[in-house]
Amino acid sequence: MNKRIFSTVCGVVLAASLFTACGGTAPAGSSDSGNAGAADSNANAGSDAAAPAASSSGFKRIADIDAAALKGTSITLYTHGGNRVLGEEKKDENGNTYRDESYAYMKHVAERFEEEYGIHVDLQVNSTEDDIRPLLQTNDPGIDIYTSPNWSIEEWQQYAIPYCTLDEAKELYGDYATTMVNDGTNVYSLMPAKTYNNAVVYNEETIKKVGYDSIPTTQAEFENLCQALRDAGIDPIAMHRVENWPLSTINDFANYVAGSNDAYPSMLKSDEPFSESHPMGKTIRMYTDWKSRGFFEADTYTDFGVAMDVVGNGKAGMMLFGAWVVPQIQGRCPEGTDPSVIKFAPAPDFGKGQYVMASAADGYSISKGCDNVDAARLFIEYMSEDAQYLADSGYIANKKGVEPIVPPLYDIIDKAVEAGTCKVLYTYATDQNSINNENVLTEANLLADVKYAGNLFDALDVTKQPDWSAYDAQVEKQNKAYVEAREDLGVSWQ
Amino acid sequence: MIYESTLYKIVRYVFLVLASVFVLVPLVPLVFMAFKSGREMQETSVLTPPSNWLNFYNFGYAIEKGHLIKAFIITAIILVISLTIQILLTCMVSYVLHRFDFKLKKVVRTAFTLTMFIPVVATQTLIFRMMHAVKLVNTMWSVVILYSGVGIVGIYIMLNLLDNVTREIDEAAWIDGATFPYTFWNIVFPLMKPGCTTLLIIQGIALYNDFYIPNLYLNRDVQTFTIALYKFYGSMSTPFEIVSAAIIIGMIPILIVFIALQKYIYSGIAAGAVKM
Repeated sequence: MNKRIFSTVCGVVLAASLFTACGGTAPAGSSDSGNAGAADSNANAGSDAAAPAASSSGFKRIADIDAAALKGTSITLYTHGGNRVLGEEKKDENGNTYRDESYAYMKHVAERFEEEYGIHVDLQVNSTEDDIRPLLQTNDPGIDIYTSPNWSIEEWQQYAIPYCTLDEAKELYGDYATTMVNDGTNVYSLMPAKTYNNAVVYNEETIKKVGYDSIPTTQAEFENLCQALRDAGIDPIAMHRVENWPLSTINDFANYVAGSNDAYPSMLKSDEPFSESHPMGKTIRMYTDWKSRGFFEADTYTDFGVAMDVVGNGKAGMMLFGAWVVPQIQGRCPEGTDPSVIKFAPAPDFGKGQYVMASAADGYSISKGCDNVDAARLFIEYMSEDAQYLADSGYIANKKGVEPIVPPLYDIIDKAVEAGTCKVLYTYATDQNSINNENVLTEANLLADVKYAGNLFDALDVTKQPDWSAYDAQVEKQNKAYVEAREDLGVSWQ
Repeated sequence: MIYESTLYKIVRYVFLVLASVFVLVPLVPLVFMAFKSGREMQETSVLTPPSNWLNFYNFGYAIEKGHLIKAFIITAIILVISLTIQILLTCMVSYVLHRFDFKLKKVVRTAFTLTMFIPVVATQTLIFRMMHAVKLVNTMWSVVILYSGVGIVGIYIMLNLLDNVTREIDEAAWIDGATFPYTFWNIVFPLMKPGCTTLLIIQGIALYNDFYIPNLYLNRDVQTFTIALYKFYGSMSTPFEIVSAAIIIGMIPILIVFIALQKYIYSGIAAGAVKM
C-alpha cells in the first residue's frame, strides 16, 4: 500500500480518535462532580424550554380522557421515593436489612392502574432529581412523570409542562392549591394530597419513661421534658446536624414563633433579621440555646436513617420534622415494638399560640419530553383519587369529591385543630417577597446549605458556654451582609 | 550491594508499616461492616468486629437486590469492547505519529495534548446532546464510544516504547515486500504489547471505577457496577452494611485481574514508563 494512502487512512482514524478523546477516562474524583455536567448544560437549557406540547394545554379530568385509546401504551415515572417502589427497608428478627414490599404503595397503585386501564407504568428510582436533569434538559421522551424536587420556578418552567391553571387547581383543591408549585398562573406540580408540615415526631414510650404522656403545649414545659430526657441519658431531639437540610425546618418553627406564615419572606422588612427582634433570629437562637443545653444528639449519625433509628429504638426522644418521617420511623421500630408508639404532635406554644403548617403534598409533574401526556395525566388523576394510596403514603386526599382517609398519625394534630387549640397556617405561597428574600440571601451568600441558620447554629461553641460572643458576632455579620445585599439588589418588602 | 545501616533499616520498616496501615485501615471497618447484621451495625462501633464471620446475608442481598451480576456483565462487555478499541487506536495513532512525517503532524499532536487540559465535564453538555440525538443515551454504546477515545497518556506510553523499537525493523520488512498494515500488525504491534498491558491496567481500573460517565448516560436498566453501587444510596438513608458487602464484591474482579496479570503489570509499567 502506498505510504501516502496509508498515512491518510491513519490520519482519518486519528482524527476520529481525537473527537472521542474528550470523553475518555474521567479524572480522579470526578465521581464527586456527578452533577457538574448537568450544571454546565443548565446554561443551555433555556433555549430548549420549548412551548408545552399541544396535548398538554388545559386541565383534563379522568372523564375527559379517552382512556380506551391509550390501552397498551406505557409511561415512565421517576421518583426519589424508592421506599414506595421497592418497599420499606426494615430489619428482620436477626437484625438483617430487608425490603418489606407491602410498603411499595406506588408499585401497587401502578399495578392496579394497569389492570384497570391497560397502561403500563414503568417505575424508576433515582437518588435525587438531579440524576435525571440531563434527560429533562434534552426533553427525553423516556421520562413522562417525575416526583417533585425542590426547584426554582424557572427550573419548573424549563422541565415541566403546566399541569393546570392555578384557578383550576383552586376549584378542586381549595386554598391548598396556592401551596402547589405555581407561577401565579399555572401549576407545574400537581399535589393531590395535604399534609401537616414540621412539628414534633416522638416516641411515646420514650417520653413516658421520664413521666410525660404527651408533648407539652408550652415552651417551658417542652424544655423541661427535653431536660428530663437529657438527665435520663436519652438524646431529647435527633436532628442529624451533620447535613444541612435538617436545619431548614427552622423556617416552619419561625412561623410558629411569629404566629404567622411569613416569617421567612418578612426578613425583608427587617434590618436585623438574625437578631432576636425578628422571629427568624429568635427561632435560630432558640435552636442554638437547645444545642447549648444538650437537647440535640451528642453523637454524629452516619446518615438520616440512623437518626430515625434512634427515635425508633428509644435512644432519642423525638425529631422536629414533618409527617413524612413518621411511617419511616415506625418501620424502624425494633421487633416486638408497636410502631404506633411513634406519634406526631403540634409544636408547643412559643408565645403566640400553638400552630401547625399545612400544605399540599406529594407532587407529580409531567416532563416536557413526555410523548404520552394523556396517559400521564390519567395516572396522576388516578393516584389523586385513591385516598387509601395517599393515606398509606402518609398524606390526606384533598381533591374535591374524594372521601379522605386520615392516617392515624394525624390523630393528635387533627384533634387539636378541631378543638381550636392549634391553628393551621398554610405554607406561604411563592410571591415576589419570598423570591426577593431568597435573592437577598443568595447575594449575601447565606442561602446555600441553609447557611443563614447553620452558620449561627455552629457559631456557638458548646465547650465555651455560656459565652455567646461568637454567636452574637455572627448575628452582626449576617445582619450586615443581609442589609448590604438587599441594598445592592434594590429590593424591599412589597 | 548497597550497605544499609541498622538505623536506616528501622526507619525503612517503620515507614513501610505506617504506609501499609494508612492504606489498610480504611478497609478494616469495611470488612467488619460487611459481615454485621443491620441491628449490629446500629448498636456497635464500626471498629468492632462482627459477632458472626459467617454472616453472608449482606452479600447475598447486595447481589440479588442490587442486580450486581447483571452490572458486572454489562461492565465487562463495556470494558472489553472499549479497551480493545482504545488500545488498538492508541497503537495505530502512536505508530503513525512516531514513524511518519505528514503535514499538520505537529498540529495533530498538539491537539491530542490539549485534550489533556479539557475536563471531561466541560465537554459533556454537547456530547450528551449528540448522544441523545442519535438515541444512544441509556444504552451501553454511549459509554463504549466515550471510553474508546485515545488519550494522550496512552500515546506518550506508546511513543516512548516505540523509541526503543528501531526503524530498521520496519525498513527490513518493507524491503522484503511487506505492506504498511502488514508491518504494523505483524512486526511492530507485537513489540508494543508491554505498552498495551500498561494501558490495559491503567485504563481498565480507571474505567471500572468511573462513575461520572455511566451516571450521566445510563439511567435505567443498563447499569455498570459503580451505578449499581450508587443505587444503594437512598435520598435519606443508606444500609451501610449492604453497601460494604457490595464494595467488597466489587473489589474481587480487580483482585483477580491483578493476581492474574501482576507479572505483566510490573514489567509493563517499567517498559512503558512515560518520558514526557
